[in-house]
Amino acid sequence: MKLLTTLMLAVLYSLPAFALDGQQLLKQIDRNMNPESYESYRKLINIEPDGTRKEFTLYTVKKGADKVASLFLAPASDKGRTTLRLGDNMWLLIPNVGKPVRITSLQSVVGGVFNNADILQLDYDAEYRVEKVEDKDGDYLLHLKARNRTVAYDRVRIWADKGKKMPHKIECLTEAGMLIKTLYFKDHKNFGGFSRPATVETDSPLYKGYKSVMLYAKMKKRSFKDEVFTLNGMATIDSLR
Amino acid sequence: MQAILVILLLLTVAGQACAEEFTFDESEIEKKFWYLGGYAEARPGLNLLDQDAAQTRLRYYNRHVDDLPVDFNGKLLLEGSLEKGWAKLFVQPSLDYTNTRLNNYLKLSWYEAWLQAKPNDHFRVLTGKKSLRWGKGYAWNPVAFFDRPKNPDDPELSLEGYWLATAEYIHSLDGPLKTVAFTPLILPQNHDLNSDFGTDDQVNWGGKLYLLLYDTDIDLIMRGKGGREAAYGLDFSRNLTTNFELHGELAWLVNAKRQVIGSSGQRSTLSGDALSWLVGLRYLTEQDTTWIVEYYRNGAGYTKNEMDSYYQQVEQGWTAWQTSANPTKLQQLGQNQSYSRAAAMRDYLYARVSQKEPFDVLYFTPAITTIVNLQDQSLSLAPELVYTGITNLELRLKGTATIGTRDTEYGEKQNDARIELRVRYYF
Repeated sequence: MKLLTTLMLAVLYSLPAFALDGQQLLKQIDRNMNPESYESYRKLINIEPDGTRKEFTLYTVKKGADKVASLFLAPASDKGRTTLRLGDNMWLLIPNVGKPVRITSLQSVVGGVFNNADILQLDYDAEYRVEKVEDKDGDYLLHLKARNRTVAYDRVRIWADKGKKMPHKIECLTEAGMLIKTLYFKDHKNFGGFSRPATVETDSPLYKGYKSVMLYAKMKKRSFKDEVFTLNGMATIDSLR
Repeated sequence: MQAILVILLLLTVAGQACAEEFTFDESEIEKKFWYLGGYAEARPGLNLLDQDAAQTRLRYYNRHVDDLPVDFNGKLLLEGSLEKGWAKLFVQPSLDYTNTRLNNYLKLSWYEAWLQAKPNDHFRVLTGKKSLRWGKGYAWNPVAFFDRPKNPDDPELSLEGYWLATAEYIHSLDGPLKTVAFTPLILPQNHDLNSDFGTDDQVNWGGKLYLLLYDTDIDLIMRGKGGREAAYGLDFSRNLTTNFELHGELAWLVNAKRQVIGSSGQRSTLSGDALSWLVGLRYLTEQDTTWIVEYYRNGAGYTKNEMDSYYQQVEQGWTAWQTSANPTKLQQLGQNQSYSRAAAMRDYLYARVSQKEPFDVLYFTPAITTIVNLQDQSLSLAPELVYTGITNLELRLKGTATIGTRDTEYGEKQNDARIELRVRYYF
């Protein structure tokens, strides 16, 4: 009897270890996508239906779950523009205008399919709670719901490889379930210590025929002072390179 | 076997073609210790002149001018920097060419020229010529105590700075108060330095305390008594939702002075404390339409009666010129720029509506802007089309119409309408 009780207790205690903690899985996916604090270079390419392209190059620094800043390096017309995100707060510094102005997550400083929330992406765990995790054809399918109304997309669905715990497709939806855009993660690359997709493509039913692509380079772990992520620090992001 | 090899070869080539579709060459992101860039722009314009307007009479009383004068403005704005370790040198010269009925000149101005030392992420000092751009307002900034006034018709234009020395200390915290930054400054003035600020030999001083508190930007600003009277200011900005931003400014100008021309033509200087303030919003609709709306109360502006007296004096000056060819009065009135400056009166409304990429035309933004003088019910209306689809080229076609009866601010502007093409190339 004692043995049976011990066995039952052991089974009960071991159950949580097997049950899938969605939020923990999301945190794991976040960390697999990028280190908690890092610097990276990105190229954004907007492609029109006729094949015309416009490219932007950015230097990005991120710290913790809710601090991220990006400096535009090219083209010349956008060089020096700096965006900063501190949680739900977003600012844009245009060199000619000379002072940071608040921007909103749904606007786009580059035009095309990517909006400000995509360019200044925080950890998904910081903005979303996991409602449900499904097993879908060998993938995890995570159903996310925004933690509050200041988040750009009310609902997000993530398809992640079960083994690597790395997303290969993310759908962004409105509260009513309307698809806003789909992100496709491709071209896994080793960034010296960790591997992640180096290409993110996106399309949107709202922009039929248009496509935007984000290419990553030189992503690496790096720690920063909090003061880098302030309005006053925006004008000096280039000195970090 | 041969067919399989051909297929494999085709697949390999196709694969390479796909892989080469997007490239990111690391030489594109290599940092140099120097930078040189800027833009060149051309701005031809066609004006519809109001021959009977006060501003036209003051400027053109002694010369003939067509009803449809053409003008041309050009600009070469250069930016250069040298950066090594914690030190940075930045210069921004502007070469401006103007060809109008009144002026034809080439002018070189140094908008900015400063040296900055940033020993760590908390602290930096800067000395030289710099435009500070304090305040949260889009069209007006009553708390910008150390800046030249910006043009509400084109608020995003670069401005020439002042020679000053400033420092900045930044500290980040956890909790509702996330950032504190303190920015003291001194701005000397005399006949040779910052003479636009004041010509007496004085050292102006002031500063700004910035707080990011409960997700709200807050600035407390002051200017001590120096070449100009003391002034105290407060501004704030906050995102209420993902698509709605609210901002405001409040400025208390101690003993503010203004030159007034009385009904009999006598000049006097009135002084007294003035309160100027602004409240505004930015709102983005689901259709990607951006609204910017601001109300501006210019406490140091002219009243309707003061403006009426001024227009009466211009009328009398015009009569004197026509009847006796005596230009004295018109010349005297023309020298007083304060009546013709932007937002010279007290109550204004600014509204700008822009539509991002309508009809799926990428990089195309039409907009319409209005500035309404709420005291005299006159206004300007400016539709514009902006296209940025060609890399580094920006095209803007802008029209402006002024609407108002006689003796109103916009009714007495020089132009009834103007259309201008701006072609700007960045390099």
